[in-house]
Order: sequence, then structure tokens, then C-alpha cells
Amino acid sequence: MTRSRAAGASGGKDRRQSPGSAHVSGPASQPVISDPVGERQLARERAFRRYVEPDIDVLLRVAYTLTRSWPDAEDVVQDALIRAWRAVDRFDGAHPRAWLLTILRHSHLNSLRRRRPELIGDRSELEGHRPAFGARAADSPEQRHTDREFSTALDRAVAGLDPRYRVVVLLVDVDQLSYAEVAELLGIPLGTVMSRVSRARDKLRRQLRACSAGEGTHP
Amino acid sequence: MNMTLWSMVTCRWAARRIQRYLDADPAAWLEPDEVSRLQAHLAECARCTGRVEEYRALGRALRAWSDQRGPDPLMVARLRATAEQIITQEPA
Repeated sequence: MTRSRAAGASGGKDRRQSPGSAHVSGPASQPVISDPVGERQLARERAFRRYVEPDIDVLLRVAYTLTRSWPDAEDVVQDALIRAWRAVDRFDGAHPRAWLLTILRHSHLNSLRRRRPELIGDRSELEGHRPAFGARAADSPEQRHTDREFSTALDRAVAGLDPRYRVVVLLVDVDQLSYAEVAELLGIPLGTVMSRVSRARDKLRRQLRACSAGEGTHP
Repeated sequence: MNMTLWSMVTCRWAARRIQRYLDADPAAWLEPDEVSRLQAHLAECARCTGRVEEYRALGRALRAWSDQRGPDPLMVARLRATAEQIITQEPA
């Protein structure tokens, strides 16, 4: 029976060992110790690197969509990483993104419980909100002006959405999640995701059409 | 007149499917005959084609907007370091 393919992630060579033997001599006279705990740890590390680490950016963006605050998003993702590490050895490998989003959902809900109730769902948080970092510089003053105008129009249009619709359209169109992933993340039916994203897009489309026609709806 | 009425009915039918057509989400595929009917309608209806273009433009705008508001690379690096710490510091 072949066992102990333990060294894949750590760069070592595969070694074969018969069951029950305490050790065998390798080619360089190095004893190979049977270590089920170490093997389990390595398997867990491999799973974490495979299923969790590549999606850290996605988790952060989704957490930002949920929290509307980068520091809060970072806290939520940190918590999710710890939960994912604890759970990854029980994860069967099917639908890793959905699994991660469920973990993120729990981390987010946990963070909401720690917040003061009056701060939750405050629509004014989004009004005029600008990230202090990550902005891409425009190539020219004219381009910068155009980008700023459009970005402002989009900010206003998005901020004006009902929060229930806003979070869904941002998760689908900005964070590129599937309908099923959004349903899983928010704990709502798939049909609700579809109807909310549809209504949100229609509202944004109408508002941006009005903006591009030149008649600003705001002073 | 009949054509106009039929066109209006088809426009309403199309409007309810355009977003699913563009999203191509695995949870909400259109049936092949629906796709064919929708594409045939779009080929001859300027109003619905305009609607499709508006949705596409909105999608592009939201993605560009998102790119400008992306996370600080330092924050991403911190989280990657956190992930490493979690792996290396976990007691057996």
C-alpha cells in the first residue's frame, strides 16, 4: 500500500513506505518517519493554498461591497481566512468559491453583531465616499475631468439605489459573482437575486442615460 | 398594424430576457430556442438593440469604476502575509 505522498507542497521528494514500519532507509540513508499529524497538516496547507489564497483579492472586494469600508473589509477577510483555515480540512473541494463566500458571510454577520446598530445600513456612508487609495491616475487633465464627472455620476446613481438592490448589482457586475454565489453569500433565493439585479440595472441605466443627455439631476 | 402589435409583444418578451442573455449565468440559461428568437428579434429591433448596448455600457462602466476603487495593494499584501502566518503558526 502506498502512503506518505506528503512532500508535494514543500518541495520534497515523494517517498514510499510500507504500513506499520517505523522507518525505512532512503537513498541517502535518511530515515523517513511516519507522521500522520504532519501529513494532515501538509494536506491542510495544500488545500488552503489551492482554494483560499488565490481568492484573497476576490474576498476583499466582496467584503468591501458588503461593508463599504476598506478597513472593515480587511477585518472581515482576516476573520474569514482564519475560519477557512479551521474548516479547510473538512472541505470536499466542490465549489470552492461558494464555500469561501459562505465563510465570508459568517465573518461579515459576526462583524455586524459587533457594530453599533445605528451604523448598520446607513446610506449616507456611501454618499460622496471616496477611497483614500487605489485610485488610478488619468492620462490627461481632460481625461481626468471626464473620468471624474462620470465616476461622480455613477457614485450618485449607485448611492441612490435601495441598499438591498445596490449590494446585489455590485456583487454581480463589479465583483463578478454568479447569481448562485450571490444567493449563497446573502442567504436569499436565486430569483430574488435576479429580480434585484435587474431592477438595479434598469434604474442605473435610466439615471446614467439622463446624465449623458446633459441634464444633470443635481445642482 | 398587426406587425406593430406583434413587435411590441416581442419587445416585452425580449426585455424580460436580455439581461439573462447577456449574463449567461449558469443558474439562469436561456433555452436554445429562446436565444434564437431573441437574436432574431435583436437583428431587426433598434429599440431592443439599444437596450442591449446600454446594459453592456453599464457593465463596462461599473467594471471601470471598480478598477479605480480597487483595494490598496498593501492591504492585499497584508492579507497574504496573514494567510502565511495562519499556515505557519497553526499548532499541530
